[in-house]
Amino acid sequence: MSAVKREEQVVEDSKYNVIGKSVRRRDALAKVSGEATFTTDVKLPGMLYAKVLRSPYPHARIKRIDVSRAERLPGVKAVATHKNTSRERFNTSATMTFTVPHLQPVLDQYIFDDVVRYVGDEVAAVAAVSEEVARQALKLIEVEYEQLPAVYDPLEAMKEEAPDIHAGCHEGKNVPGEVVKIALGDVEKGFAESDLVIEESFKLPVQKQAQMETHAAVAQVTPEGTITVWSTTQTPHPTRMILSKVFNMPNSKIRVLNPPYVGGGFGVRIGCSAKAEPIAVALAMMTKRPVKIVYSREEDFTASDTRHGGYARVKLGVKKDGTFHALDIKGVLNGGAYCSFSSEVPGVMGTMTLAIYRIPNENFVGYPVYTNTTPCGAMRGFGNPQGNFPLESVVDMAAEQLGMDPLQLRLKNIMKAGEPWCLPYPCSSTGLAECIEKGAESIGWERRGKFNKPGATKVRGIGMGVGTHVSNSWPFCVDYDNAYITIEQDGSVQLATGVPDIGTGTSTSLPQIAAEVLGVELDKVNITFGDTANTPFDIGSHASRTLYAAGTAVIAAAKDARKQVLEYASELLDTPAERLALKNSTVFVAALGLTDSCSGSGVCQAGSGKRTSVTLQEVAAHAHLHNKQFIGVGRIVPPNSPPWEAHFAEVEVDLSTGQVRVIKLAAAHDVGKAIHPMIVEGQIEGGVLQGIGYALSEEIKYNDKGKQQNYSFHNYFLPTAEDVPEIDAIIVESNDPQGPFGAKGIGETGLVPTAPAIANAVYDATGVRFTEIPMTEERVFFGLQNKRKC
Amino acid sequence: MLQEYYLPHSVADALILLKNNNGQARIIAGGTDLVIDHQAEKIKAEAFVDISNIEELKKIECADGVITIGAAVTHSEAARSELIQKHAPALAMAARSVGSLQIRNIATVVGNVVNAQPAADTAVVLAVLEAEAEVNSAAGVKYVPLYKMYAGVCKSAVDSTSQLVTRIRFIVPQRNQGTAFVRLCQRKALALPMLNVAAMVSLQGDRFAWARLAMAPVGPGPVRAIEAEKMLRGAPLTDETVEKAAQLALESANPRSSMVRGSREYRIGVLPVLVKRALTAAVARAHTN
Amino acid sequence: MSFTTLKFTLNGEPIEIAVSPSDMLVDVLRDKLELTGTKKGCGKGECGACTVIMNGKAVASCLVPALKAADAEIETIEGVANGAAHPLQETFMDLGAVQCGFCTPGMIMSSKALLDDNPQPTKSEIREAIAGNICRCTGYVKIEEAVEAAAEKLREQR
Ligand code: FES
Ligand code: FES
Repeated sequence: MSAVKREEQVVEDSKYNVIGKSVRRRDALAKVSGEATFTTDVKLPGMLYAKVLRSPYPHARIKRIDVSRAERLPGVKAVATHKNTSRERFNTSATMTFTVPHLQPVLDQYIFDDVVRYVGDEVAAVAAVSEEVARQALKLIEVEYEQLPAVYDPLEAMKEEAPDIHAGCHEGKNVPGEVVKIALGDVEKGFAESDLVIEESFKLPVQKQAQMETHAAVAQVTPEGTITVWSTTQTPHPTRMILSKVFNMPNSKIRVLNPPYVGGGFGVRIGCSAKAEPIAVALAMMTKRPVKIVYSREEDFTASDTRHGGYARVKLGVKKDGTFHALDIKGVLNGGAYCSFSSEVPGVMGTMTLAIYRIPNENFVGYPVYTNTTPCGAMRGFGNPQGNFPLESVVDMAAEQLGMDPLQLRLKNIMKAGEPWCLPYPCSSTGLAECIEKGAESIGWERRGKFNKPGATKVRGIGMGVGTHVSNSWPFCVDYDNAYITIEQDGSVQLATGVPDIGTGTSTSLPQIAAEVLGVELDKVNITFGDTANTPFDIGSHASRTLYAAGTAVIAAAKDARKQVLEYASELLDTPAERLALKNSTVFVAALGLTDSCSGSGVCQAGSGKRTSVTLQEVAAHAHLHNKQFIGVGRIVPPNSPPWEAHFAEVEVDLSTGQVRVIKLAAAHDVGKAIHPMIVEGQIEGGVLQGIGYALSEEIKYNDKGKQQNYSFHNYFLPTAEDVPEIDAIIVESNDPQGPFGAKGIGETGLVPTAPAIANAVYDATGVRFTEIPMTEERVFFGLQNKRKC
Repeated sequence: MLQEYYLPHSVADALILLKNNNGQARIIAGGTDLVIDHQAEKIKAEAFVDISNIEELKKIECADGVITIGAAVTHSEAARSELIQKHAPALAMAARSVGSLQIRNIATVVGNVVNAQPAADTAVVLAVLEAEAEVNSAAGVKYVPLYKMYAGVCKSAVDSTSQLVTRIRFIVPQRNQGTAFVRLCQRKALALPMLNVAAMVSLQGDRFAWARLAMAPVGPGPVRAIEAEKMLRGAPLTDETVEKAAQLALESANPRSSMVRGSREYRIGVLPVLVKRALTAAVARAHTN
Repeated sequence: MSFTTLKFTLNGEPIEIAVSPSDMLVDVLRDKLELTGTKKGCGKGECGACTVIMNGKAVASCLVPALKAADAEIETIEGVANGAAHPLQETFMDLGAVQCGFCTPGMIMSSKALLDDNPQPTKSEIREAIAGNICRCTGYVKIEEAVEAAAEKLREQR
């Protein structure tokens, strides 16, 4: 940042009280002292414990199921199967509650069905006095299966001879919902007009969210029939809508809440926490007792949504001078056994990949495909990493063929604010050029290609990748938000918002926003969140939207409350409301300012004897005694704004074993405005490490019987503290004109261009282009060997 | 179903408990693998006899040129033991590489051998040290060489319902001798090795007097590279020798394909690299010993 | 199922409780003693969420049969703050080492075991100490910084 710019920044920040400050998180003390309650900690009197019987087969029909022996086991209170539970079709993901009107949500699940479609699919569940008894009871359930043919690869599953996994696929064999098609200009003509056309195919792995708290729910049914569900969901309000449909109950009679903490999410529980909520509710209804279900780590791996793996093909047309002219992308994504978010993920893959550069002719087609593997749904990035790795690899290939610096080639083509693009909202801001500049400086881009001595067994390289993302889920899903702000009788502030805090710090940053707009001290603001009983509707914490969308609603609510306060105070101060200001919990005549002499005294006297300020506490108390309270309501439909990011990786490759080590990863992110810079850095750092895992080691494989081979931390290789390279999280602030205080979404971008940055660095080091990730030691070893043979 | 959990204070008491329970009781030391297997119902027992409170088994000792590691010694203790760091640094390194600190603080070195996991890190080093186990039972004490402790993949020759391995011992490497351990794994903690190799060499001037090489998981337990060892006897200390040994080591290895920890082809591809690295490091160590 | 009385010291207080031979320490702490600060992320020793300090050493309490803890000194997250927050708790709060917080108790216990024993740890010693604690949120960067800063605070206090 230049000196002048930095100065501007300081001036800018000093106009805020709490925005831009890394205050202590309000959940921090509870979490460091072990007092924070998570769903797995909830215990109610008379509570029963549930365990689930899961399918050992990838595809089978249940011919007979006999639970009588299990029911007779002492301590067993209920056994649920497809025979005695709801026959209402649903979708465990929140998509069934917010699919945009011109499309139909795919409802392809029951709590239990008489067909099982992947190894781990739910067959039955037992509620018993202890987990141990429930586990014993599972062994007593007799099931006779008729095995059906199974298919695990999406390309295979699209072939005519493949088994049908669900009925009603109208867009193609085993394709749920709609095929996603996006077009701009004329690509065929575009390629014809290009001087260079590069085409490459890529293979993408199945990654797992692996959040630390496994799926869990506790359901309680009152004698009057109202239901309360504590759960690990990222979306209490939509989850309530799902349960309302499954159990045919009014929304109003169901309460879904986090207790209030959630041990991570990364997309895996947008909607239900796998099937934890519906199973707990079904069993609680049967037994009339509270029922708790906690997924084992293995169940969490095998029976809850993963990231979509699959295939991508990228074709890029470039003019001689490096101008991108046409881009065609095709994605075939493995959706697993149930649709979940499979209808939306390809859309994000396409748009986010097409939106990075200014290209007049663009085309995307994306197929979600059913297979007999664990369902695939939302995971941080939501399709974006799946398109970004292929495109950003191809951009580097183009740079090499053009003899251009890949950094310059990108700078030449990146999207500019206000330019036309494939999305139905404008590109409102971009700090990508600055991200590229800062990231390059951090990594030492000029050293690229100058590391290696001939004959070395360990070689180094540098690579980069850039990308964008969304700040909420519109236009892919319905997206709106609400917030309430109540000024209590003593001038303190109660904020209520429906979003949860899954670890991303929203329960700190939303009060920051409220405090700033209202002009009160942060510690006067309390927040209620993640509870449908006492917060207004919100679609949840996902799509990098929580701060952006809920923050916009909080601003609206705070402005509303503030307006009411000022109007009321205008009479007390005998000054029109427009001429009043509210700061440090004091209403004062703006023109006179909030002078030091006022502090402490509460009420200031001007020469005339007229009051020129009054504390919020006084206003609220006065109002209370005159039968009034200030309640601000925010009801907004958020716009959408693109965050931008540039990642730079330095790697070392051991040529004799194929092992790749990331030495440094510089991640520069245009976050619009950092409301809480430390939380922003934390989001980037955590995202980057997941991105490194995606690039190098994280992959779920299935054997030829459809069984997951990587179902525990022991054999799913997410990075540990000993695997972390130097990570330089760089914040760039473009001050978006639409976002709250200029902020944009930051929840997901941390892992978007990480894999291509690393793959491009590996290419720089070795001269071998890897089109399949993760770049495990084995893949790299054989990749290098193949090169030597040629 | 587990009915009792005993914590005897002497070896004699432990053996009596085994005997009195007629094969229904089983020895537990750290238990980090055992409790998981027990929960998964892969093993059955009515009682556990926990030996971690037996003082005499908590020691690492060196007497008459022999190092003895008691059955209650944890990986952490072995990794940090000055005695082991000085005389068998490869063993300290192998102990350090297992699981995580929380596991190493409980899991024992002897348990790592008795458990008969094919890729046990310390076992690979103990194999080149030609360690032997002190096995106690009602019948008395016997010493069993390490290579005889494996009855098959994940099958120990020790019957923990009637036998108690009290110690493991090996001769301290001499002057001109050195040990080394190398490990290939997908991340630096919480990972079983894709491959691990230990080497011990004894040098005589510019030649190998002899060398021992052990590799895993390429068979039921640590597998000695017999062909390579034969070739190395008396061979000159050159890069060519090391290269040749690395290739010959393959003749003794029969790795399986694992979808998680590498295909057979990959393991065969990199095994020579690891052998080379282990041998080279052991030679360097011998030069300073 | 037979029950045995287990006696041990928990956060400085003597405890006596009936447990069965197959009970694990983590479950006794969480379910029987209702100390839910100790978390369970895998139950198999692979994530460190259940880390407690047993006789001065960090251990995965999901791998420790409860009866193994007989006569042991056990410290859990609930015992770390001694009147005031421990320096580790302070630095975890102030340096952004807490996100979802599910790994946090285990992280702090691993770090405390390290600092109790080694007031001046190197970076690699810190990493070794927490490598068995999976954190999926933070990327470990700020956790490492917090442990370093706490070590410094503790040295100043001494
Ligand atoms: S719960 Fe004990 S290590 Fe994961
Ligand atoms: S803070 Fe969420 S796992 Fe560490």
